[in-house]
Amino acid sequence: MKANQPGFIGGWRNIWLLSRYWLKGRLSRAALLWLLFGESFAIVFIAFGTQTVFAFANRFATNGPAGQFSTFALSLILAFVLVGLLQGGFSGSGLPVTSADVDYVFTSPVRPREIFGAKVLINSLTTVLFSFPPLLFLYITLARNYHTSLWTALPAGLATLLFLITALMLSADVTLSLSSNLGSTMKVIRNFLIVGVAIVGFVPVILLIPSVPRFLTPISQLLPSGLAAGLSVGLVTGTPWSLGLTLEAVALFAWFAASLLLGVRMSRNHFYEVLTIYGADNPVQSSGATKSLLRTSGMSVWSVVRSKESVIMRRSKERRGLLVSSLFLSAFMVIYSLAGIFQSSPTSFLFILFLVGSFGSGSASGWLEKERLWIIRTSAIDLRRYVREVYLARVTPLLMFLTPVTVAVGIPLIIGQLGQAGSYAVMLALPAALEVAAVMMGGGMYFAARYGQSTTDDILSSQAQQLTDVKRFLYQTIFNLLIVSPIMGLVLAGAEASTYIPVSPAALAAALFVAAGAYTYFVLRYLLNVSGDQIAKREDL
Amino acid sequence: MGEISVESLTKNYDSLVALNNVSFNVKSGEIVGLIGPNGAGKSTLMKISVGILRPTEGTVKVSGHDIVQDPEAAKRLIGYVPENPSLYTALTVREFLGFVGKIRDVNDMTLEARISESLKTFSLEDKADALLGSLSKGMKQKVALIAATLHGPDVLILDEPLTALDPKTQAFVHGWIRSQGQSGKTVLLSTHNLEIVQDYATRIIIIDRGNVIAVGRLDELRALAQTKSDARLDEVFLKLTEDA
Repeated sequence: MKANQPGFIGGWRNIWLLSRYWLKGRLSRAALLWLLFGESFAIVFIAFGTQTVFAFANRFATNGPAGQFSTFALSLILAFVLVGLLQGGFSGSGLPVTSADVDYVFTSPVRPREIFGAKVLINSLTTVLFSFPPLLFLYITLARNYHTSLWTALPAGLATLLFLITALMLSADVTLSLSSNLGSTMKVIRNFLIVGVAIVGFVPVILLIPSVPRFLTPISQLLPSGLAAGLSVGLVTGTPWSLGLTLEAVALFAWFAASLLLGVRMSRNHFYEVLTIYGADNPVQSSGATKSLLRTSGMSVWSVVRSKESVIMRRSKERRGLLVSSLFLSAFMVIYSLAGIFQSSPTSFLFILFLVGSFGSGSASGWLEKERLWIIRTSAIDLRRYVREVYLARVTPLLMFLTPVTVAVGIPLIIGQLGQAGSYAVMLALPAALEVAAVMMGGGMYFAARYGQSTTDDILSSQAQQLTDVKRFLYQTIFNLLIVSPIMGLVLAGAEASTYIPVSPAALAAALFVAAGAYTYFVLRYLLNVSGDQIAKREDL
Repeated sequence: MGEISVESLTKNYDSLVALNNVSFNVKSGEIVGLIGPNGAGKSTLMKISVGILRPTEGTVKVSGHDIVQDPEAAKRLIGYVPENPSLYTALTVREFLGFVGKIRDVNDMTLEARISESLKTFSLEDKADALLGSLSKGMKQKVALIAATLHGPDVLILDEPLTALDPKTQAFVHGWIRSQGQSGKTVLLSTHNLEIVQDYATRIIIIDRGNVIAVGRLDELRALAQTKSDARLDEVFLKLTEDA
């Protein structure tokens, strides 16, 4: 009994008990496979991404030592993580729980603070397990680059790890702050604070544009992302320990303590109503009359199918998420363009293509979770066509968001480099971004159709589903990279080919553009047809 | 009118035999109750009959149309309610029914009329513009029943339509099933509620461990089970499945 006396955040025994069982639940064979695969993937990604980091560093190298400016690159990446987690916090996923947690943990005589404490502990532990090896790899790579002791990678990694745990707690705090128990004044303050943090979080991104004044720099350094970047890069680049670094370390710990205290304070009452519950059917909470958006009278069956998909995306907030993510990608493209990265580094453009494509693929994967296959399969409807129409409904908003940005970014670049070989590469690269997004979205549809779990009455066990997810993610990534590699290859070839092939560069660019377009069309058609066939074959519903 | 003909139907899941050489017929206008213990193969049989699962061997024909060889023609004749109907939670009741009617090829005028009429019959008029995700389980079940009948199918295949319904809704669904039979529709009803089967089914199929162990009217099953002439179906069922 003594061991369970309420302490700082409640009874430690309950926290330990919950953490132990959650950990046991998480460390399944599939989860360990995920961990290994995820870490390997992250290390490969880091090896690839560090090229981009150094490209940023070199971009600012004229104003001082390159190492100093890597802080920008890292704080930029960490700021994205921070803003992404805060955004997740707003959608209720800052403290993810399962239906079983709600049914058994929240109905047990366990204090909400203890649940919060256990969640924080388990999230922190998972973060350490998942993130530390790739972080260590990153800082060892940087230490080698700056010729400092490889041991500096250890404290540098720990500083970034502390940031990640703090950011996860902030995300949890945001989710807790959505609770209806919060007073109206607190809600207003909360909203201002969150918007403020989100804006400040983007400061490092804006700083990449050469004309933006440098006095904005200290603002970004006040956030945990800036502090962790300053500390980690400072350590790994061999900056002597100073008062500045001490203050940064203290401030980072202060963020950590404040976010923990805030969470403890807000988890006094039950909070499960604000959480995203995994495994549930995502019920829409709205009650009462809803304005009808799906018109069927006088419409063809296929326009009704497209319309149904759009309405579902809109009402399930998926379209809003799409808009936010597209703005994020658009901002990346604009900043890359303004910072001159496109012109100087074709590999950095491949990095963007990868981001755009992964996003499109991930977006498509979500389709099947909202689909009701038993209705489709018991109707006399052409499933290939059905999948094509769903794809159209999903890809259209993505292209509508990205196309104007691509045009806005591309035209000045092309005009600025008119006549040079590089301009043809840009002419190919910009539509290729859209083609890659479209093709990888088709790949996402195929993998969702083949491996995705539909809402069925014969739900796979969670472990079987995790294994399926691992396979799906693994195959999907490899498959998507393979199917878009011809488009990426054309982009890289665009700049070089005119040197070796004795034709007009403009004619060559036009030919490559048509080839990429034709390839996109035929690959998409094939992918969507086989997706329809996969739906027709599925028996797990 | 619709008929269901099941011949030598077998379904294997790897080494598990879910259905073993099952054969029976459901004549036009009949209400046939399909009963059996959990895991007997009822849902598998239902899912094969509506084209969700492929049989390992054998055939299911709906009014002569093979569900595997000629699925579109067969599906036009079938209305199906699964055991746990999951609906598009982000659509309203009217939007959902409009969508289902469209993909089941119902013309606009008929669809509008049927939706309005059904909402009235099922007392869901005031929920027409409510999101499906906000409805209770009983209401969702009613919406699934409406969706199954929008295209005017000749055959209704109902898999546990009474599961988890409150007594009032159960009574309503009882009446609705009877009215479907009276209007000449062929109904294949899988349920654990033996009362409804005893009251409304013209014939009963008992299935256990993938095998059909008895088919017939209640009095025929009583004779087969060697029970009293007024024995209730649950008694007959227990006797027959015990012996199987």
